Amino acid sequence: MYTRRELLKHSSAGFGYLALAGMASRSQLRAAPIEHSSVTHPLAPKPPHFPATAKRVIFLCMQGGPSHVDTFDYKPALIADNGRLGQYGGSLLKSPWAFRQRGQSGLWISDLFPNVAKQADDLCLIRSMHCDQPVHPGAMTQMHTGTAQFVRPSLGAWTLYGLGTDNEDLPGFISLSPPAGSSRNYSSAFLPAIYSGADVGRSGSRFAQLSRSATTNNPTVPDIRNPNLTPPQQRRQLDFIQTLNRAQSVDVNAAAVEGVIESYELAFRMQDAIPELMDLSGEDQRTLAMYGADAEPTLTFGRQCLLARRFAEAGVRFIEVTHGNWDQHTRLTADHQARAEACDQPIAALLADLKQRDMLRDTLVIWGGEFGRTPSAQNGDGRNHNNKGYTLWMAGGGVKGGYSYGATDEHGFAAVENPCHVHDWHATVLHLLGLDHERLTYRYAGRDFRLTDVHGNVAHDIIA
Amino acid sequence: MILLQTRRVARTLMILCCLWGTGSSSWAADPAARALTGEQTKFFESNIRPVLVRECYGCHSKQSGQSKGGLRLDTQAATLQGGDSGAAIVPGDLDASLLYGAITHTDFVMPPKRKLSDAEIADFRTWILSGAADPRIVHPVDSPATAIDDQTIEQAKRSFWAYQPPQRSELAEVGDASDDWSKTTIDRFLKAKLDQSGLAPADDADAPTVLRRLCFDLIGLPPTPEQHRHFALAFERDPGEAIAVIVDQLLKQPEYGQHWGRHWLDVVRFAESTGREVNMTYPHAWRYRDYVIDSFNADKPFDEFVREQIAGDLLPAADDREWSEHLIATTFLAMGTKNVNEQSRAQFAADLADEQIDTSTRVFLGTSVACARCHDHKFDPIRQSDYYAMAGIFRSTKTFFGNPPSQYGSFSGPQTRQTSSLILLPVADENPIGRSYTQDELQQLHEQIQQKRLELSQLRRGNNSTGAGPMSQQMRIRLSNELASLSAKLSVVDERGDPRSYCMGVQDGSVSGDAPLLVRGEIDQPADRVPRGIPVVLGQIDPPSPRSSGRLELARWIGSEHNTLAARVMVNRIWHHVFGQGIVPTTEDFGMTGIAPSHPALLDHLSIEFVDSGWSVKEIVRQLVCSRAYRMQSRMDRTSHESDPDNRLLWRANVKRLPAESLRDAMLSVAGKLQTESPRASKVAQAGYMRVRSDQLEDPRDRFARAFGTMLTSRGRSGRFRADRLRESNDMSIDSVSANYRSVYLPVVRDFLPRSLEVFDFADPSLVTGARETSNTPNQALYLMNNPLTVRLSESFAKRLIRESRTQQDRIESAFQLVYGRSPSVAEQMASQEYLEQSGLSPLSALSTFCQSLFASAEFRYLN
Repeated sequence: MYTRRELLKHSSAGFGYLALAGMASRSQLRAAPIEHSSVTHPLAPKPPHFPATAKRVIFLCMQGGPSHVDTFDYKPALIADNGRLGQYGGSLLKSPWAFRQRGQSGLWISDLFPNVAKQADDLCLIRSMHCDQPVHPGAMTQMHTGTAQFVRPSLGAWTLYGLGTDNEDLPGFISLSPPAGSSRNYSSAFLPAIYSGADVGRSGSRFAQLSRSATTNNPTVPDIRNPNLTPPQQRRQLDFIQTLNRAQSVDVNAAAVEGVIESYELAFRMQDAIPELMDLSGEDQRTLAMYGADAEPTLTFGRQCLLARRFAEAGVRFIEVTHGNWDQHTRLTADHQARAEACDQPIAALLADLKQRDMLRDTLVIWGGEFGRTPSAQNGDGRNHNNKGYTLWMAGGGVKGGYSYGATDEHGFAAVENPCHVHDWHATVLHLLGLDHERLTYRYAGRDFRLTDVHGNVAHDIIA
Repeated sequence: MILLQTRRVARTLMILCCLWGTGSSSWAADPAARALTGEQTKFFESNIRPVLVRECYGCHSKQSGQSKGGLRLDTQAATLQGGDSGAAIVPGDLDASLLYGAITHTDFVMPPKRKLSDAEIADFRTWILSGAADPRIVHPVDSPATAIDDQTIEQAKRSFWAYQPPQRSELAEVGDASDDWSKTTIDRFLKAKLDQSGLAPADDADAPTVLRRLCFDLIGLPPTPEQHRHFALAFERDPGEAIAVIVDQLLKQPEYGQHWGRHWLDVVRFAESTGREVNMTYPHAWRYRDYVIDSFNADKPFDEFVREQIAGDLLPAADDREWSEHLIATTFLAMGTKNVNEQSRAQFAADLADEQIDTSTRVFLGTSVACARCHDHKFDPIRQSDYYAMAGIFRSTKTFFGNPPSQYGSFSGPQTRQTSSLILLPVADENPIGRSYTQDELQQLHEQIQQKRLELSQLRRGNNSTGAGPMSQQMRIRLSNELASLSAKLSVVDERGDPRSYCMGVQDGSVSGDAPLLVRGEIDQPADRVPRGIPVVLGQIDPPSPRSSGRLELARWIGSEHNTLAARVMVNRIWHHVFGQGIVPTTEDFGMTGIAPSHPALLDHLSIEFVDSGWSVKEIVRQLVCSRAYRMQSRMDRTSHESDPDNRLLWRANVKRLPAESLRDAMLSVAGKLQTESPRASKVAQAGYMRVRSDQLEDPRDRFARAFGTMLTSRGRSGRFRADRLRESNDMSIDSVSANYRSVYLPVVRDFLPRSLEVFDFADPSLVTGARETSNTPNQALYLMNNPLTVRLSESFAKRLIRESRTQQDRIESAFQLVYGRSPSVAEQMASQEYLEQSGLSPLSALSTFCQSLFASAEFRYLN
């Protein structure tokens, strides 16, 4: 039989402040008010390993694999060789969209993202991304957790574990309306459950979200209000629940019980904070229009980008917004266009808004999918998955603006210059947040784990 | 003989329905085989092709990139296949050739702006009547060279564990004979591995823990206080005997099938709607759900269960009842996600077969074949040709998933471009399910349809005040949708207005044959045809008999011990549910990218036992829960944890989070509200065929109508059958807060799950899910703190306590017994009393929130 203090040292999940508080005052098993001690609170802000340029992350996750050769990776040779047999089979397909040089920097960006293109001078394109997984679920999981083989904590969970959060009334890691069945991508795995991403808004596919956003004006979190109890009454009930939880034998289910305890505390605080934050009625019409949060086709993603900005402002450490479905094996021309139209204006608005609030400086905005698409055609007007080379961009948070890093070959099949593996990208993101990816470890089952496993090199060239 | 005849009548009815469905029947035929005569070529090139190029290609060719109405006219195959409305050309048949109807302005008006000259029309007439000889044949391209040579396949067959037949272990060799921990063979296998790693199995858990595990694991419900008392006594006398007795009881309860059937429904991605952009309901999918529950309760031999789901329609049946059951079983192949909004019928058909291949291979064989659609499998020795060998089988199969046409035909709209009929069951429901209509209501429906049809045709001819333009286009879409919805109502009832009995499922197509390999999976790039069969590395099936799809042969091979995987995959699924983690943790992937078995010999042993028991799932469940290993504590041991953090060697019991259904059902049960009788059908069946766009399963128009008591309400004819329980409350919300039946009967609409299921990691019904995630989130906390269902059941629980016990102390005692199966500790008793006295709430509210607290606690949510 362990004592709680021993478990704190050795348990797979570690023990947060609540267990400590429980231990101190629980000899009588009587409910006591919870004390917020910044020393032991698992979400309390922690200093980074070294001075950081980014304080928080907004990750615009483009699910399905947007085509790099149609968006941010300009390939003149692909135009010249249109219709010729490509290196990996299939005939090469030039992009249906024209590319132009944009901004002072002259970055080449296609007409698929006309609004984002106006912010070219803030973008840092990584045109040499690659990962190990050729299919969606695997690649998506690797993008989030570094591996598709094992259940591991996601990038957001590691960030929160490393830095804590500035607003303990909100989850430190929020995933806005994530696709159903994807919780592995924002889970904390063996890290304490409090570090996992909280899904805000109902999950569901793009279609369900479209349906729902058409019927409600203000998306919110279900069950955010108790129909009967006042907050003090509910607090008393919660104290009783926590008393029951703390009475659980500590050597059986410690990590899960700890997670349950913390989830109630956070849920209780969220009841106040979330409705206010998610209520967009206070935003003026100009802002709503800027984000496209007032009309289709940008309605859903526009709202989500605006919410992301509000969460960032409120001190949430890591915010993820998913936009799908970019998986165009067919109908590339029509459907890539439709996907882009739904997100181009909101993304541009988010960048501009952060900038005007002087938040882009220390907010790292990431745009990218789990992989890119082949330069060769599939089904005539379509492209297959391509994990050997694709583009992801970042903005703000201390990266060089108007900068392009790495390159794929002449047609865009594979990363050839400064290849940036998902591990390297993870290492770089952590670096921008002031975390050394080799030092950000967590001891689980007698071994030190880290996001990048035994890999990862920081791409120092992209840091301003 | 009599039986046979009835069946033939039913089959004729069915085939009538089939004729209306989306047909891809011409797909496998090869009308291009005959060479054209010089005269035929000349006629086509001078009289037909130029007109097609000039008048049609602009909107219907690959070159223009347009295939309006899903139709292309630039190849023979595409022309014969036709578009959304059917074949453009049926050689020799002017009436059936929609193209002819269009150029003569009979039904369609094409070309849209002008009519062809009489001479041109006459040419088309001659051409079609003389057989529509057409030289525009896409010649097969060369099949790409395979990257997986025969040697690689042979090598994999010889060496990869999952492709070897299960090996019987000599029991004497397993473990240490003097080991006194092991009670069963399973224990000996486990103990041997623990010994090798220097680990010791955990001590036995106490009686309440074991009983709680047994009840939740076998029937998904908590034990009652009486069961706890009896079991504790028996367990003290003889734990093994006590467990054996209760397991016997539990396996006989109907709740067993409801719980284990739900595990299967996760795996087969059971859902009651298409999902995707245009989310159309499957009002008859519930029959499959009930079939699964009944099969688990009857302990139907698993091999038979498998064969029925893949080819029930082709299996011999003793009577019509059994035949019905077999047809329902094939819903398995019909209920996948579908993009009914897909423009191209060829693409839709290819995707449908793809979904069937993917699901069948992963569900039954733990093997992913669908990766080989576009190229050889990247990791497993499965060639692209293996995929198309299977594709031939499924492309020769016709799938029924939509709604039958009414007498006015089948209406495909701009949203539901891909329609399909249903299969009429040989045995009708005794009490019809779904809406029924009075004669007056029927009459009104007919009148409305006729009226709308008239409006639509006026609109088409331009005889409308709105004229052409976007307004008219919008009206046309609205009218089409209304027509489709009215027709859908009418088509499922008989002339008396009573619902007929349909099911979803499959039939062999009217034409069957091998499928061509599609280069890079592109429907425009057919290469050589691949003889139907299964992946070479897995074995071989009998060649399909002539005029059949080969599905029967496939079913007979998968549902047998002639493959090395089916039995292993299933016993591993059972193991996963009993022990919390599979011997192969990747329950759907027994291939190279999957995780290798922790106990390969044990897995083999169990799959041999499974087959020897006559594929009895209950027998395997019994063996697992009667093992010593099942009785272990879940207590943490630091040394063991460091040596085996994932507990793969099973040195302790895994702690399991209760699944969403069990949490809800247990709350219902403890609150004294659980309705033991199963509801009939499903809310989705009540709602009928409709597009789901919100959390309400009712067309807003109908809700409006119902509110005002006008027509289109379901008036259960009280003289003939009771109004359905499901409709009693008129609550058509998916969340179903007021429902008291078990969670397995809640509506499973893709993308719109009931909150009670969604928040606790219910399996995404669009995916094959063998192992659910178990998260621990603030949303779950919010649900337990605030959700109306939680609040309602906590109140019921409180009222039950008030009814059953007098003093506060007794109520606290009783509450702990009901929720946890144990008495409160002194400290808990004190804390409870203190809460009840100091909550600041009325006595009933105080007791309700106390009850809610017990539901909300970690102890209730986890199975130690």
